Amino acid sequence: MESVIQVMVVGIVGFPALAVLALGLRAWVYHPWSERTTVAIVGFGFSASVTVCAITVAWLLHADVSEVRVPLGSWFSAGHYSFDWNLIADRLSIPFATFSAVLLGLVASFSRRYLHREPGFARFYLLLAIFGTAVQFVVLAGSLDLVFLGWELVGVTSALLIAFFHERRGPVEHGLRAFVTYRLCDVGLLAAGVALHFMVGTSDVGPSTGGPWAGFVVPSTWAGASIVGLLILWASIGKAAQLPFSGWLPRAMEGPTPSSAVFYGALSIHLGPYLLLRSESILQASWLAAGAVIAVGALTALHATFVGRTQSDIKSALAYASMTQVGLIYVEIGLGFRYLAVAHIVGHAAIRTLQILRSPSLLHDHHHLEQAMGRQLPRTGGHLERLVPQAFQPWLYRVALERGGFDAVLKDWAVAPALRFLSRIDGWDQAWVDYLTKPSAAGERRSRHDEVRP
Amino acid sequence: MSSVADMIDHAAHLLPQQSPLHMFVHHNTLHAFEHLHFEQAVLEGAARFGTEPYQTEQAFAQCLETARIRPVDIDAVLEPLHDDSVAPVIAGGPTRRELHALRLRNLFEIPKGAALHWMLEETGTLFRFHPRVPEAARAAILHSAERVSVDPAPMSAKAREEQSLEQMWRALLAVAPVVSRAGVSVRRRDQILAAYGADTDRLVHPLLIRFCAAFVDQGIAYWQMAEREQGLLAAFRALYGLGSGPMDRWMRGLSEELRRQGRDGWDAERTVSWALEELGVPHAEWQGYIEETLLSLRGWAGMIRQLEERPDTAPVDPPPARLADYLALQLTLDLHAARFELQPHAGESEKLADLATSRSAEVEELDLELVYEAFIVAQLAGVGPAEMTSSSAAKRWLEEIREFDSNERRRLMHLAYERRHRIGVLDGIVGHCRLGRARAKSPSFQAVFCIDDREESLRRQLEELRPDAETYGYAGFFGVAMSYEGIEDIRPRPLCPVAVRPSHYVTERALDESDAAAFAGKRRRQGQVTHSIGLGSKMLTRGGLLSALFGFLAVIPLLGRSLFPRSTERLAHWALHRTAPVPPTRLCVEGAGEVRPDGLRAGYTLDEMTGIVASVLTTMGIDKNLSSLVLIVGHGSSSLNNPHEAAHDCGATGGGRGGPNARAFAQMANDARVRERLRAQSVVIPDSTWFVGAYHNTCDDSMTYYDEDLLPPHLVDALDDVRGAFADACRLDAHERCRRFESASFDLDPESALTHAEAHAYDLAQPRPEYGHATNAVCIVGRRERTRGLFLDRRAFLVSYDPMRDPSGTILAALLRAVGPVGAGINLEYYFSFVDPTGYGSGTKLPHNIVGLVGVMDGHASDLRTGLPWQMVEIHEPVRLLTIVEAKTEMLERVLAQEAGLANLVNKEWIQLVAWDPDSDALAVYEKGRFRPYVTENPAIAVVERSMEFYAGRRGHLSPAHVTAGLFAEGRA
Repeated sequence: MESVIQVMVVGIVGFPALAVLALGLRAWVYHPWSERTTVAIVGFGFSASVTVCAITVAWLLHADVSEVRVPLGSWFSAGHYSFDWNLIADRLSIPFATFSAVLLGLVASFSRRYLHREPGFARFYLLLAIFGTAVQFVVLAGSLDLVFLGWELVGVTSALLIAFFHERRGPVEHGLRAFVTYRLCDVGLLAAGVALHFMVGTSDVGPSTGGPWAGFVVPSTWAGASIVGLLILWASIGKAAQLPFSGWLPRAMEGPTPSSAVFYGALSIHLGPYLLLRSESILQASWLAAGAVIAVGALTALHATFVGRTQSDIKSALAYASMTQVGLIYVEIGLGFRYLAVAHIVGHAAIRTLQILRSPSLLHDHHHLEQAMGRQLPRTGGHLERLVPQAFQPWLYRVALERGGFDAVLKDWAVAPALRFLSRIDGWDQAWVDYLTKPSAAGERRSRHDEVRP
Repeated sequence: MSSVADMIDHAAHLLPQQSPLHMFVHHNTLHAFEHLHFEQAVLEGAARFGTEPYQTEQAFAQCLETARIRPVDIDAVLEPLHDDSVAPVIAGGPTRRELHALRLRNLFEIPKGAALHWMLEETGTLFRFHPRVPEAARAAILHSAERVSVDPAPMSAKAREEQSLEQMWRALLAVAPVVSRAGVSVRRRDQILAAYGADTDRLVHPLLIRFCAAFVDQGIAYWQMAEREQGLLAAFRALYGLGSGPMDRWMRGLSEELRRQGRDGWDAERTVSWALEELGVPHAEWQGYIEETLLSLRGWAGMIRQLEERPDTAPVDPPPARLADYLALQLTLDLHAARFELQPHAGESEKLADLATSRSAEVEELDLELVYEAFIVAQLAGVGPAEMTSSSAAKRWLEEIREFDSNERRRLMHLAYERRHRIGVLDGIVGHCRLGRARAKSPSFQAVFCIDDREESLRRQLEELRPDAETYGYAGFFGVAMSYEGIEDIRPRPLCPVAVRPSHYVTERALDESDAAAFAGKRRRQGQVTHSIGLGSKMLTRGGLLSALFGFLAVIPLLGRSLFPRSTERLAHWALHRTAPVPPTRLCVEGAGEVRPDGLRAGYTLDEMTGIVASVLTTMGIDKNLSSLVLIVGHGSSSLNNPHEAAHDCGATGGGRGGPNARAFAQMANDARVRERLRAQSVVIPDSTWFVGAYHNTCDDSMTYYDEDLLPPHLVDALDDVRGAFADACRLDAHERCRRFESASFDLDPESALTHAEAHAYDLAQPRPEYGHATNAVCIVGRRERTRGLFLDRRAFLVSYDPMRDPSGTILAALLRAVGPVGAGINLEYYFSFVDPTGYGSGTKLPHNIVGLVGVMDGHASDLRTGLPWQMVEIHEPVRLLTIVEAKTEMLERVLAQEAGLANLVNKEWIQLVAWDPDSDALAVYEKGRFRPYVTENPAIAVVERSMEFYAGRRGHLSPAHVTAGLFAEGRA
C-alpha cells in the first residue's frame, strides 16, 4: 500500500507538471490550445492533484502514519555520500498541498471567464500551471535543495505575471523589481543549503524528533544553528514581503486580478512562513534565529498596518493587509505557536484571495453597504488619532504615505550605487568593444542602401 | 496678458471630463474640439494627445478583405476629391485619381525605424517584387527596364527584375528628402530627458499620484489625510514641509521651500508664476507649458478639475479640490526634480532656461519610410525605371506619395467604411417601406421604453410576440427631471440628463413607517456585520483573530463564486431579502413646493405634473390613441466585477437607473386631478386608461413592476397577460444578446440564454457583464409604425415622433436638441475608445485597480484611466451616428437654422443626418450644407418571420431585415 501512496504523492506534483508539459509543448511551436482545452488541461491537472492529496490524507489518517517519504532518485553519489532527491508527505506538507491545489483549481476556473478573449490567455495558464507545480515542489520538498528548485520557479512565474501586460512600462519595471528582490533572497536560501551540507552533511529533512512534523537536521552547535536559521529567515522574507524587502508587494498588483489574488493573497506570499515552519527544528535550536523571526515579523506587521491605513487604492490596501497578517504569522512561528500559524495561513489565504477577487466590484459593494447601513460609512481612523499625540499625527501620516521611507533608502543607498557600478563596468566594456571593432567598423557596417546614396 | 488663473481655466478644457465612476455619463471624448470639423478635430486631438484619429490601416485593409468596405465605396469617396484631369502625375504613370484608388486598395504595412532597416538589409525587398504587385504591373516594369537598359544582352527575368528594382530604388533614394526627428517639446522634463536620459516625471509622478489619490479618497483608506480640508496645496505644504521632509534624495530641500512658500502666504497662482519663472519659461510660452504639464498626468488633473467644478459628483464627501493647487504642486515638484537631475551636470554650465536653446540640436536623417512607400507603390502602379530616369520625375513621385499620407488615407477609408454602413441601413429602410406597413388602430396595450439602442431588441421581440401591442420610445427620464432618494438610499441623486440640474426632490416612503423602521434595522445589522468583517480583516489584531479563527470559512464563497457564480449570487440575494424583505412603498411625487435646505423643492405641483405628462404624451404622439394599459419602462443595469457599472445605466438619467422616473411618471399620469387639468389642455386620458411604471434590467433581462396594488380591478388580468408577454420577450432579448457573447454557444434556447445572461450579470469573474451601447450606430426619430417589423440588430436609438402632429416643428426642435447631443455623446465616446483603446479608452479591464472610489488605475500607481475599457467596446463599429429623422427636408433645415448646438454637430459632421420623408420612402442625406436625395443601391431586404430566424448562428453585425411577425395586427377580440 505504501508504494501506491508514494506514487500518489508524486502525482500531487506530477499532474500539474503534466499540464505544464501539455501546454508548454504546444506553446513552443506557436500553436497554443484553444481556451476551452487550455482550461480543461489545467483544470484536470489541479483536480487530479486535489484527488491524490485527498487519497493521501485518507490513507495517512487511516493507517495512522505520520509521514511518507518518496525517493525520486539520486543526482550523484561519491563514495559513501549521495545526493538524493525525495518528497515528503506529512502533517505539515499534505494539508498545504491540498489547500494549494484547491485554491489553484478555483482560480483556474475563475480565470476562464476573467481572461476570456485576452491575447495572453495561453501564457497566463501556462504560468499558472508552472506556478502550481512549483508550489507543490516547495511544499513537498524533502530537502532544502529541492525547495530551491520550486522556489526559483515560483519567483520566475511571479515576476512574469506581474509583467503580464508587458506593453506598458510599469508592469515590466515592477516585475523586475520583484524578480531582483527574489534573487537577492535566493542567495540566503542557497547559502543555507550550502551551510547545512557543510555542517551536517545533508540538507534533507531529518528523521522525526518528536515534533508533529520532521524538520531539517539541526547543526550541532548553537552558532551553526543560528547561522542556518538566519540564512533561512533571509531566504523567506523576499517572497513573504517582510521588512526590509517589502516594497515590491504593492507594486506587484499589476497583473490580471486573479493572478494577484492567488500569488499575493494566497500562495506565493505564504511560502516564506511555510519554509520557516519546515525549519522549525532549527529555529528551536537557536533563540537568536527565533528572535530574529519575531523581530522581523513584528516590525513588518507594525509597518504594514500603519502604511496600509493610508493606502487609497484597493489593491495596495489589500497588499498591505496581507503583509500585516504575514508579519503576525512570523511572530507566531518565532514564538513556536505552530498550529496557530498553520490555521492562520490557511484562513488568511482564503479570506484575502476572496477579497482581491472581489476588489473590482468595490464601487458596487460600497454603494450597497452604504444602503444597508442607512448612512455614510462611519469615519475610520479615530482609534489611531486617539492613540497618537496630535502634534505627531501629520508626521506619522506622511511617513505612512511615503511607506516608511524604505523605498527611498533602498533606492538611494542600494540601487543607485549598484547601478552606478554596473554602468561603469558597462562603460569599460563598451570602450573595449569599440577598441576591438573600430578599425574595420566603417567598411562592414555600411549597408546596401547607404552605398547607393549620392 | 491673461492671468495664470485664466490660463489654467483655458488649459482645463483639454483635460478628460469624466466624473467619478459611479456617475459615469457618456460624452464626446473630444468635447474640447467640438467647435472644429470632425476630421480636423480628430487630427488635432491626435497631435495633442498622441492618439490615433481613425482605425489603423491594417484594420481597414481587413475590412476590404471581408467586403465590409467595397471597391465602389472607395471610388465614391474619391469622387469629390478630384477634377477629371487625365494628366498622369509623372510621365507614363497613373493619374492622381488612379494613384489614390490604387493606394487605398493596397494598404500594406510600412515598417518603421530599425524594422525597416532590417527588412531592407535582410530580406529580398530590394530585389523582388512586393507580393501584392499584380502580373500586369510586373510586366510593365520589366518592359520599362528594358527600354532604359544600356546592356543589350538578353537577361533572365529574375535578373531583369533585380536590375529594374534596384534602378528604381536608386532613383528614389537619390531624391529622398531629409526629415528631422520631432523637435523636443516645451517641458523642461522632455528637454532633460533628451539631453541626459533622466526622466523627472518618474520622480514626480509617483508622489503626485500617491498624494492626489489620498487627497480625493472617498473611503478606501482607513486613515483620512490630515489637513485635507485646507486644500491640496496647503495640505501638501503642511505634510511635506514638516521637519526635513521625506528621505528621498531628490526631495532634499523641498521641505524648506514649502515652508517658505507657506510663510510668505503664497497662493496657488503665485506659486505657479514663481515656478514657471524659475523654470525659465518665457511668459509667452506659459499657456503651452501649463497645458503640457497638466496633460502629462491628465487623468488625475482632470479628476481634480471635475471635483472642483462639480463637487456634487463626489461619491461621499467632496474634497476641496482646485486645479490651480494641483498645478502649483506639480510645477513645484517639477522644478525641484529638474534641479536635482541637473545637479550632476552643473559643470556643463546648465541653466534651466538655456536647456531649450542649447540642447535642441535635431537629428536629421533620410526619410527612408517615404522612399520605401514610394518604391512599393511604384511597383503596384507599374511605374518602372524608365519613368524615373529624371530626378524631377522621381521627386514628383515622392511628393505625390507624401501628400497622400496615412491620415489622409485613413480619413478616406473611414468615409468609405461609414458609407457602406449607411447604404446598408438606408437600403434596408427603403426595402422595408416598400413591403408595406399596417397602421395601428386600437392596440391592446402600449409600452413606452427609453430610446436606448439596447431596448430596440426588447421592443421588437415584444411586438413579434404580441402583434397587437404598440411600443414607443422616449428619453428614459420620461420628462421627470428629479433628484431622487430611494428607501435604501442615503442621499439623493439626480435622475435626469446631465445637461439639466434637477430642482425637484422625490423620495420613496414605506407605506407603513414601522415596517420601514424594522426593515432599516435589519439592513443595518446586515451592513454592520459586512462592514466590520471587511474593515477588520485589514487591521492588525482584528484581522489576525478573524483570519486565524474564521478565515477558512471564506473557502465556501470562493468555491461558489468560482464554480457556481449564478447560483451563489442568487442564493446570497435571496438570503439577504429573506431576512430583510423590502416593505411596500410609494413615491412622494406631489409637493406644495417648499424648498429644502439643499435648495431642491420637495415634489411637484399639480401644474408641473400636468406639464410633464402633456409634453411627454404629445411628443410621442400617443395622446390620441391611448389603450387601457400603458407601461412606462425605465431601464438600468447591475453587474459585478465592473467599476464602469454606471456606464451601462440609462444615459438619459445621467448614468442612473430609470425605474423611479417611470414610476413617478405613471403616478403623475394616473392622478385624477392631473388628468382633469390635462383635459383643459385638450389632452384627454380616458378614465379606463392606467399607467404602470416598470424597470428593465438590461444586464440580467429582468423586469420589475411598480405600484401594482393600485391597479384598477378591471385591468388585473390584462396586466398579468402583459407581464407574461414581457417575460417571454426578455427571454428572447437575452437570446438575441447572447449571440454576441463568444462564450454562449449558438444552440442555446431562450430559457438557457436567459440563464447565460444572468450568469454574466452575477459573476465576479466576468469582465463583460453586457455589451452596453457597443453596437450603437443609428438613431431613428420618427413613428414606430414605420420601423416596426424592421430588424435593427440592437444598433438603433428609437425616438418616437409623429411629424403629422407637428406642423410647426417645435416638437422636433426640442426633441433633437435633447437627443442629438446625448446620442452623439454615447456614439463618439465609443468611437474614440475603440479607435484608440489605450489613448482615449482605458485599456483592458483586467489590471484595473479602483482608487479612492472615484476611478481606476492600471495596476499600481498609474494615471487615472478615463474612457471606456476595451471589453466594453471590442465589438463596436466606429461610425458616426447615422441620425435618420422622419421629417420634410425643409422642416429639418428650419430646425437646423434654429438650433445652433444641433447645427454645429451636423455641419461639423460629428453626426450624419438623413431626412426621411413622412409621406414616401424618399430619403435625403445631409452633405456639406444641404440635403441630397438618396439613391438606393440595392433595396432588396431579407424577409423572415421571426428575428430569431435571421440572427441565428451569426455573431457579427447584421444588416436590417424585414420581420413579418413584428407587424401590427389587431388584437384577438
